Amino acid sequence: MRILLVEDDPDLSRQLKLALADAGYAVDHAPDGEEAQFLGETEPYDAVILDLGLPKVDGVSVLERWRRGNVATPVLILTARAAWSDKVAGFDAGADDYLAKPFHTEELLARLRALLRRSAGHAAPSLSCGALRLDPRAARASVNGEPLRLTSLEYRLLHYMIMHQGRVIGRTELVEHLYDQDFDRDSNTIEVFIGRLRKKLGSDRIETVRGLGYRLTALEGEATE
Amino acid sequence: MIDLRRPSLVRRLVMLAAVWNVAVLLVAGVFLTAQFRDAAIRRFDQSLAVLTDDLYALSTVEEGQVRAPVLTDIRATRVYSGRYWTIFDKTQAGSLKVIERSRSLFDSDLMVSSEQVDRLVAAPGKTLFFEMRGPQDKPLRAAAILTQLPGHTNPVVFIAAEDRSPIDADAARFGRITALALLLLGGGLILAVVVQVRVGLAPLFQLRREVASVRRGKAERLVRVYPEELEPLAVELNALLAHNQEVVERQRTHVGNLAHALKTPLSVMLTEASQQPGSLAEVVTRQADVMREQVDHHLRRARAAARSQTSGERTPVEPILDELAVTLERIFQDKSDGRGIEIDWRCPEDLCFQGERQDLMELAGNVMENAGKWCRSKIRAVASPTTAERWTLVVDDDGPGLPPERWVDALKRGQRMDEHTPGSGLGLSIVDELARAYGGSVTLGESPLGGLRVCLDLPRSET
Repeated sequence: MRILLVEDDPDLSRQLKLALADAGYAVDHAPDGEEAQFLGETEPYDAVILDLGLPKVDGVSVLERWRRGNVATPVLILTARAAWSDKVAGFDAGADDYLAKPFHTEELLARLRALLRRSAGHAAPSLSCGALRLDPRAARASVNGEPLRLTSLEYRLLHYMIMHQGRVIGRTELVEHLYDQDFDRDSNTIEVFIGRLRKKLGSDRIETVRGLGYRLTALEGEATE
Repeated sequence: MIDLRRPSLVRRLVMLAAVWNVAVLLVAGVFLTAQFRDAAIRRFDQSLAVLTDDLYALSTVEEGQVRAPVLTDIRATRVYSGRYWTIFDKTQAGSLKVIERSRSLFDSDLMVSSEQVDRLVAAPGKTLFFEMRGPQDKPLRAAAILTQLPGHTNPVVFIAAEDRSPIDADAARFGRITALALLLLGGGLILAVVVQVRVGLAPLFQLRREVASVRRGKAERLVRVYPEELEPLAVELNALLAHNQEVVERQRTHVGNLAHALKTPLSVMLTEASQQPGSLAEVVTRQADVMREQVDHHLRRARAAARSQTSGERTPVEPILDELAVTLERIFQDKSDGRGIEIDWRCPEDLCFQGERQDLMELAGNVMENAGKWCRSKIRAVASPTTAERWTLVVDDDGPGLPPERWVDALKRGQRMDEHTPGSGLGLSIVDELARAYGGSVTLGESPLGGLRVCLDLPRSET
């Protein structure tokens, strides 16, 4: 397993290189944002440990550039800034996990193992409807390659609708597939979730069929597979 | 209650105007009434003078006896009609002897005082006017002239008098009407002044309201347009607000920088300690952990303290819950045997938090993270408005819950609710501090899902 460690503090870099090498990883080290971006784009790493406060280019920008350049390597963010707004910004930029400084080495290694395990899942066929694409393995969805930020309930609803695309699905049927138990069968629930999905997917993709339910369709002119 | 001892601009202006008004109106009233009375008396006197002139001009002397003319004035013939005349002979002794008198006098005489006689003697041939009492003790106004008639040795005095009570009544009536009119005018003027002062000082009251709304955090700065005289004050107030905010922001940044700068060295110490086992390493690890908690605590305290300087920001709640839900599901994706957790959240689209985005993230993030640590697989977060000014976020989890006797402790600083769950155990105490800084609160309870319920009460911003 080859890991890229991006950290500007020389002491911490030395220690982490040592700890990672002890754990059996091959480690490359980048002390600043520019070098990190270059290495991340050119070398095939299995995971990246990325400090956010970096000289030259900051960590979030590096991560955003990677994600825009279709570098899908799992990234664990390491930062002194642990406020929720920082965490959300980190995940928004495309991070896969987040660890606040100061941390215990064991925790870093445990998180790294989990990250690698997740990314090593088997490839599964992706589902699509026009420009909308669902990756059931990672439970991710995207439109035109732009990742959508969905909660698991939203994802579940979309997954069910894409499996039955083109067909009108009743509200009761949707609620039954949204919640496994008799948990909130409020008729309003589905409207709330459909509203959120429309906001995230674009309003035209989900059609309301009055009195019957909803239908997911590809937009006109979009190629369906 | 209005405290009358406290100086008031409105009262002062109204009082000044009132004093001035009353003085002017009083003088005007007195002057007008006097003018009216004078004019009435002058007209009255003229008609009396005409009568004396007629008496004088038309009287004849026959054989040393003065004969009064036959006058056409009917009033002088009716008894006690109020119009009288008399022709006197001024005897050598100085007294007046009646030669002839109007029929209206009937059995009485016009009583001319000796002082009045002296005045007549002093100005012969001139018409003089007197006040006197007449029949039935009525006040009379009289015109008199002392003159020589050819063929009569003694000077003759012609007097015409008339009851003056009608003009007195007229003057009194005029006085009353004038007083009433001026009273109304005065009242109207004072009312106008009150209105004028209120309207004139309205920007001042507006300024006070706006400053109050800034203090309550409803607005960030003064934005209204103020008149020339108040504009500099508004500008200064805004500058002061900006300065305050800057100072707070700067201190917050300093504390933040210090705290964050300490974190990398702490990481180095922790890592180094873990790589060189021994008693020193144990102490270092323990102390570095304490330092981390202290740094986190004070960093968040600094943020919470800065909140007492409320700014007028408003943050829509819905996108925050969405972002947090997506992020937390990612963070906890390895939970419950790798199936992750499910966050079901609800929020009206138009609900807004009265405060900063970062703080709402911190509040909701910590509560939901705490639920994430404890839940088996489900979290439910429902935001709903309670009143026009408050809203609540209720976060439920399906975890093991917490016995009621530990609810109070859970909100106390430094209480780790679960030593095995990674991350800082300070989550809820920080939420409590931050919520208090916003005038809100955190309460714990039992969740219908089986676990803990955390209710956050926070200020709401109306659209």
